Amino acid sequence: MHVRLKSLIAALAVCASSAAFAAEPIKIGLSGPFTGGSSPMGVSMRDGVKLAAAEINQKGGVLGRQIQLIERDDEAKNERGVQVAQELINRERVVATVGFINTGVALAAQRFYENARIPVMNAVATGSEITAQFLPPRYPDNYIFRTSANDQIQSAMIEEEAVDKRHFTKVAIFADSTNYGQLGREDLEKALAKKGMKPVAEEKFNIGDVDMTAQLLRAKGAGAQAVLTYGIGPELAHIANDMAKLGWRVPMIGSWTLSMSNFIDNAGKNGEGARMPQTFIQEGNTPKRKQFIAAYQKAYHVERIPSPVSAAQGYDAMYLLAAAIRQAGGTDGVKVREALENLKQPVAGVIAVYRRPYTHDNHEAIGKDEVVMGEVKGGRVIYAYPADAKRAK
Amino acid sequence: MDVLSQLLGSGVAVGMIYAVIAFGYQLTFATSRTLNFGQGEALMLGALVGLSLVGHMNYWLMLPIVMLFGAVQGAVVERVAVRPAIKSKSEFGWIMATIALGIIFKNVAENIWGHDQLPFPSPVSQTPFTVLGVHMVPMQVMVIGGALLMMLAVELFNRRSIYGKAFVATASDLDAAGLMGINTNLVITFSYALSSMTAAFAGVLVAPITLAGAEMGAVLGLKAFAVAIIGGLNSGVGVIVGGLILGIAETTTAYYISTGYKDVPGLVLLLLVLAVKPAGLFGKTVIKKV
Repeated sequence: MHVRLKSLIAALAVCASSAAFAAEPIKIGLSGPFTGGSSPMGVSMRDGVKLAAAEINQKGGVLGRQIQLIERDDEAKNERGVQVAQELINRERVVATVGFINTGVALAAQRFYENARIPVMNAVATGSEITAQFLPPRYPDNYIFRTSANDQIQSAMIEEEAVDKRHFTKVAIFADSTNYGQLGREDLEKALAKKGMKPVAEEKFNIGDVDMTAQLLRAKGAGAQAVLTYGIGPELAHIANDMAKLGWRVPMIGSWTLSMSNFIDNAGKNGEGARMPQTFIQEGNTPKRKQFIAAYQKAYHVERIPSPVSAAQGYDAMYLLAAAIRQAGGTDGVKVREALENLKQPVAGVIAVYRRPYTHDNHEAIGKDEVVMGEVKGGRVIYAYPADAKRAK
Repeated sequence: MDVLSQLLGSGVAVGMIYAVIAFGYQLTFATSRTLNFGQGEALMLGALVGLSLVGHMNYWLMLPIVMLFGAVQGAVVERVAVRPAIKSKSEFGWIMATIALGIIFKNVAENIWGHDQLPFPSPVSQTPFTVLGVHMVPMQVMVIGGALLMMLAVELFNRRSIYGKAFVATASDLDAAGLMGINTNLVITFSYALSSMTAAFAGVLVAPITLAGAEMGAVLGLKAFAVAIIGGLNSGVGVIVGGLILGIAETTTAYYISTGYKDVPGLVLLLLVLAVKPAGLFGKTVIKKV
């Protein structure tokens, strides 16, 4: 027994030392809500990131080292996001982190990365404040990068769709009472104000509300021709369903969350025709996209990606990060940030081919050109304007 | 006028959802002076079990199975969380215990059914119709009818059957009922089973409107609790009136004042009731002899 124990320890020691000889993996944090109401987005993002990391590893990794993802569930809670950030930075010693669905969580957790000089690839959260939290000159360098379409871009597109393209003169805003909804409402108001317009009704609702009759009657009474939304899936579905109940059908145009599976499924035919800005639509109109969609479907056994936008943004964020580490020639946070701000090689993502996506002062990879208008049709999101689908080619 | 009648109609429909859940709080309070703070979770479990079953069988066949499941679940809550507290004469043990069980049920549900809100098939047509200027979907009428029917059935059971009389006897005086040879422990277990059964039924009833998901119990359970307090914890009419008051207060405030203040009048009313008539609008004030 004693001899066997000793030999076991010896064997373990050999294993450990041989592992040390092989190149150590590059640890990347992955933080998002994998449980709770926003999990369709969190899980899709996670799976997109994992898909990209697996592809990179299969081709030999980065700088001869494998990428190792450290996944943590932030439960969409600010305080939990802070704990996750501290754990990833201090215990796991990650090189960078990809993540964040919820604007509030991102704003609470990013501070720790900024202080530790560890880059963050913000893949899904859209609050305008996110990349502006640590702007120079107040802070020497900003370590927060983004691969999603921020609320300013989205609200401008919503306004353009409602006012310029469809010539509505009276619109109502429906926003939930969270940070996300209320910050989005402010951006929408600003976008409308640029056209000299004021919403005829501004209605609020809570997460978990099951009846939108009063809000809709107010909007109807004010003569709204369209409802502009900033909320998440289940409540958006209640808006669509109660609209049908009241026999008041006006178009719904809103932030990208109108593409969430829990809106489309719960609203059913009442959600048809809803339009929203999208960075990615599940349609294989380029070879790269076709390959990405097929790989996702095969790896996770789904036909429809729960949140295609989140999956694509997570996937692209991982590729951009890998390119930066490769260019930096190491995993030092400062060097990786500098490389991200000055990417020399173009990076082929599924949303776009990124040519110098970031500079020292611009940390938004997605501009207005990368965003298209999506529309719910037949239970999935398609291009609202077929020209956009062709342009992508 | 059209707007007002629509607001009242929607308020009644929402209010009856609250009332039917609040009814469950009453049943256990009557016999054991305890409440199941996991009532919202019992509702959620009923809805999700119903959702799993309805894929395999007829809607109407699913109902009794869900109710049976609810009854068993309620009995488990009583045995695990409430009885030990009653035995040890703990004043507050059952509060923590039922809340804890509720959280466990929610976590279990999240693991089985996921975190998303799922559509629940409606047994009746989903085409809206109009009565007296009020737009409604048939399911809302079914919620109102189903809730009233269920409460009536429980009341009839209590008044007419021998078991129901044991229930009422225990409710009016636990010790005396025990001396008369009524197995009061069994009656209390039964009241929990009955309470969760109504909650499970309510879950199936409201799910086509509210969507079914692990989180659905939290908000509804809390609102129903407010209704039970407003109406009075020992009055059947009270919960219906309380539910209607809260439902109509929500929709009319949202329309005439602001959607941001929708929940305020109901809660102000709750505070007022607690300050002026703690037993509830329809509750009987019971003097506790020490």
